[in-house]
Amino acid sequence: MHSVENKSDERLLWTRFLKGDNQVLSLIYLQHTNSLFDYGCRFTYDKDLVKDCIQEVFCSLMRTRHNLSETDNIRLYLLKSLKRKIISELKKHNSQTRILTDQDYPFDLHWSENMDEQLNDLDEEKRQLLTDAMQSLTERQKEAIYLRFNRGLEYEEISFLLNLNYQSSRALIHRAIEKLRQIIHVPNKKINQYLFCILHKRAEPVFEHEN
Amino acid sequence: MEKYRDYTAVDFLNDESFLKWLTNPGQTENDFWHDFIQKHPYKKAEIKEATVVFKLFHSNEEKLDLNETYELWTRIQREAKVSTRTVFLKFMKYAAILLLVFLSGGVTYYFIQHSEKPYYFELAETVPPAGNEARIILADGSEVSLEKQISEISYSTNGRQLIVNNDTINQQSGTQKEQINKVIIPYGKKSMIVLSDGTKVWLNAGSQLIYPSVFVNKTRQVMLIGEAYFDVAKNPDKPFIVRASDIYVHVVGTRFDISAYPEDKVIQTVLEEGKVNLKYSGKGILKEEFVVEMVPNQKFELDISTGQAKSQMVDVSKYVSWKEGMLEFEKVDLIRALKQVERYYNIRIRLANPMIGLYKLSGKLDLKDEPEEVLNVIKLTVPIDWQKKSNGDFVILGK
Repeated sequence: MHSVENKSDERLLWTRFLKGDNQVLSLIYLQHTNSLFDYGCRFTYDKDLVKDCIQEVFCSLMRTRHNLSETDNIRLYLLKSLKRKIISELKKHNSQTRILTDQDYPFDLHWSENMDEQLNDLDEEKRQLLTDAMQSLTERQKEAIYLRFNRGLEYEEISFLLNLNYQSSRALIHRAIEKLRQIIHVPNKKINQYLFCILHKRAEPVFEHEN
Repeated sequence: MEKYRDYTAVDFLNDESFLKWLTNPGQTENDFWHDFIQKHPYKKAEIKEATVVFKLFHSNEEKLDLNETYELWTRIQREAKVSTRTVFLKFMKYAAILLLVFLSGGVTYYFIQHSEKPYYFELAETVPPAGNEARIILADGSEVSLEKQISEISYSTNGRQLIVNNDTINQQSGTQKEQINKVIIPYGKKSMIVLSDGTKVWLNAGSQLIYPSVFVNKTRQVMLIGEAYFDVAKNPDKPFIVRASDIYVHVVGTRFDISAYPEDKVIQTVLEEGKVNLKYSGKGILKEEFVVEMVPNQKFELDISTGQAKSQMVDVSKYVSWKEGMLEFEKVDLIRALKQVERYYNIRIRLANPMIGLYKLSGKLDLKDEPEEVLNVIKLTVPIDWQKKSNGDFVILGK
């Protein structure tokens, strides 16, 4: 049993779509729809709006096919289009007092539910520190972290989505990592050990070799 | 591997290969990193720390369930159709004056119908899957290849665990949302799948099945391209719905076969036992909808290109014998029979003359033999001969 690399499949689909084969668009849709939906839901709680925007992204993909090239990165292209669409929609219907701009918009990042449960066992002080650290991240930092650790994007791709240069997007993430590491490394070794322990209860696949 | 020897936790998190291993690992990453840890045990602490940070930063994902995924796709298709029609109408406005003299309503109708065609496609693609590998695609996008000629896949009742040809795979238990899995079986292979509700599905060569790992919605919905035989586990509270092209088959608990290969242009349903409701919602300008209640031993056939339907009583065993590696025919067009042989062996059969395809074929074919032998058996009942070309294709000649 092994998993298959699907990068070449992806490229093949894209090429065929650009050549006018509409059949493969459904495959492209299936491959990316969940990532797009999740990314979209980070900008707004309005899931219907996210769906509307995904619809628009795919429709305009069909319309603008002739302007696209084979070297384009499909995933990145779709993520970027969706983000642009959602933010422009949010700007239109913005009833909040906060003013949205292309560089200033909220982004939702919270840790996984089971992480919450695991942290419950942790002592109050440490948990508070971690929660504070998460909350003190800037919105752009949250988005960069999300793109890196949930979507698994490379720094260059992140820079493209955030309209930053390579160094800045790397620095954004680096600062966030350092902050967490400092908390994890608070001198109290005992707590430290404990934290590792509970965080690793579900850690796979790294630790299957320990047994 | 050398460069990683002095890596800190932060360096690991900055490394693309390491990150890929944590987010969406393939075989290469798994092998490499397991090997690395074994060879460099002193790096374990740094790797652990990197993993902790990763876990803190990784958040839960929102997902669309099968219904929502499908519904959204239908909207995209509809929207695409509307927009081409608007462009077309704009064009028509200017062209109308010129054309009015020449055009009859029939020709206009032809144009409108054809202007829609390019955007007529299905969520489940009608192209054969890329590559020749049977595989299962899990909810997180990872793929597991099915190496056997006939694969067996079965899900635990909570959908978290699946067994593929005796290998156990754990799937992330998600939220309350349905986690969509997909099995792709290329020509020349077959598969048997036991879904989390106990329903058994035999998937024929060149087919795909899309389904949730566990059914959490009010109905149990799956999507089929190609042919499958279903033995649906009884559950009156949660009807089971198979969607194949434009046909929806609603059942509570029963056994039936659906064949909906895109290249056949005919959707065929044969009911072996129980009761099913078949709902058809046509597309295009002649929108048509109807519901048929089927009884055991009934065969229902729908021609997708014309929308024509016919139904008759049949011997069901002939339609489901492919499960056991047999094909049985009773006055079937040779072209349709050969199509099944093609899919089963993953070969190409061409006709020297299209009229040959209209011969009626009756009898039993044992598919355990080589394709050559199968063609020889066919030769005994209809007046044909065959040749094998150097590229492996078969050509059927009339006598």
